Amino acid sequence: MKRYRDYNPIAVAANMLAAALVAMFSMDPVILAVALTGGIIASLTCASMRKRDHLFALGLFVALVVINPIFSHNGATVLFIMNDSPVTLEATLYGVSAAMMLVSVLYWFRAFTAVMTSDRLLYLFSRLSPRVSLVLSMALRTVPMLRERWQKIEQAQRALGLYRDGNLIDRVRGILRIFSILVTWMLENGVITADSMDARCYGTHRRTSYALFEFGCSDAAVLGLSTGLAALTLWGLSGTDFQYYPTVSYTGSAVTIIGYIAYSGLCLLPGIIELWEGIRWNGYRSTR
Amino acid sequence: MTAIGSSGLRARTRAGMRYLLPFVLIPALVALSVTVFGDRMYLAISFLIAALAVLLFLIGIEQKNLGARRMVLVAVMTALTVIGRFIPFFKPVTALTVIAALYLGAESGFLVGALSALLSNFYFGQGPWTPFQMLSWGLIGLVAGYLSRPLLRHRALLLMYGVLSGAVFSLIMDVWTVIWYSGSFSWGLYLAAAVSALPYTLLYAVSNLVFLLVLGRPFGEKLSRIKKKYGI
Repeated sequence: MKRYRDYNPIAVAANMLAAALVAMFSMDPVILAVALTGGIIASLTCASMRKRDHLFALGLFVALVVINPIFSHNGATVLFIMNDSPVTLEATLYGVSAAMMLVSVLYWFRAFTAVMTSDRLLYLFSRLSPRVSLVLSMALRTVPMLRERWQKIEQAQRALGLYRDGNLIDRVRGILRIFSILVTWMLENGVITADSMDARCYGTHRRTSYALFEFGCSDAAVLGLSTGLAALTLWGLSGTDFQYYPTVSYTGSAVTIIGYIAYSGLCLLPGIIELWEGIRWNGYRSTR
Repeated sequence: MTAIGSSGLRARTRAGMRYLLPFVLIPALVALSVTVFGDRMYLAISFLIAALAVLLFLIGIEQKNLGARRMVLVAVMTALTVIGRFIPFFKPVTALTVIAALYLGAESGFLVGALSALLSNFYFGQGPWTPFQMLSWGLIGLVAGYLSRPLLRHRALLLMYGVLSGAVFSLIMDVWTVIWYSGSFSWGLYLAAAVSALPYTLLYAVSNLVFLLVLGRPFGEKLSRIKKKYGI
């Protein structure tokens, strides 16, 4: 059982960022429709989306479709005249494409955030830049620690009788005192942590990471597939040109179809992996 | 097990990237956007340029060994900044970044600004805007660090810097808003966005002012005491 998120972060990031970047670079409606479908499938299978999120995406989509023809009067085919300014077919179609692009990027990033948890992101960062990733991981640890220590100081202050929520001024002063103690404690503690790191020869040896993300054959397959499909997509789309203004014009060739198919593969990869693993999981499960 | 060495091939690649990024990659992207894509690819190009610029600064910081003590202090300041972003309406992010930059140095200021944008977006929503926020907050910290001497000497100057950086942050993010919603950039739309964001610009400026006034001295005392005590 290896779900999409269990693949090596390098492979997963390559897949998702390639899908999102191609969508951001393209104004081709077919590519954008594929990106939108793939993004929705990816975020449905990988992220926990609430109804509210989908409603927001839908609202954004509708707003973008409506706004573009109101502000942009380019285009040769006039649909109707509103407030003495023409609303054109081309501007509406451009609005639909722009809306598809933005909403699909939104969905892809949502799926990306859900799959790329902080430990995976740190794994990626630690290869790019070990020092910065160390700061990042320490800061991540410090966030919950701040809350814990705030409570500890608050309890101690209360036990001392110094922290009463009698009147507002007293309360504010109490909170400021706790904050001051907290900051001093964290800073002092940080220096002690650093000394402890130095004592253990931090920076003289290679760094190891806590989470083990193995890079196996299947990870190599996903990474290779993603980069290969992305390259195929770029090659297939290099000859196409989709113009909205003044009239919708399209130049493409047979190669373009290959680009479309390759991009569909790239976008549907997360969904296909999740589906396949679901089928396998159900196949292994005893039915009795 | 991943082996991460600061010497050898990786370090050399990083050193090469420091020159490759600003002199080859970013100009190439700009040229590409002008010649091949015309004026259609603002979103993707600006996203890539912002991400590469952040990467460039991070590589620079990576090469300059900050020392374990300073790095831990940067981590603590980053965590405080992330928590601070949860305060409704009044955000102390810029103020804390500026304070960190003044007392810990320009590189630390960039790190606090950029990393707190990255980390807090895990709660507030990650998106194509993340590199933009990282870059703008990071640069506010970096510049504050370079100007630390006059800013520390004259309090009025510091407060002015806070107000100004709030306005600049808002103006930079307005560029992003225009590109994000219209797919291209036009001065008319930018003006409209800047005007409609005016309440936020004011809010940023005021909260920077307030937080620099309230937090500046006590944080400064604490940080300089730590620096003096441990000789950082």
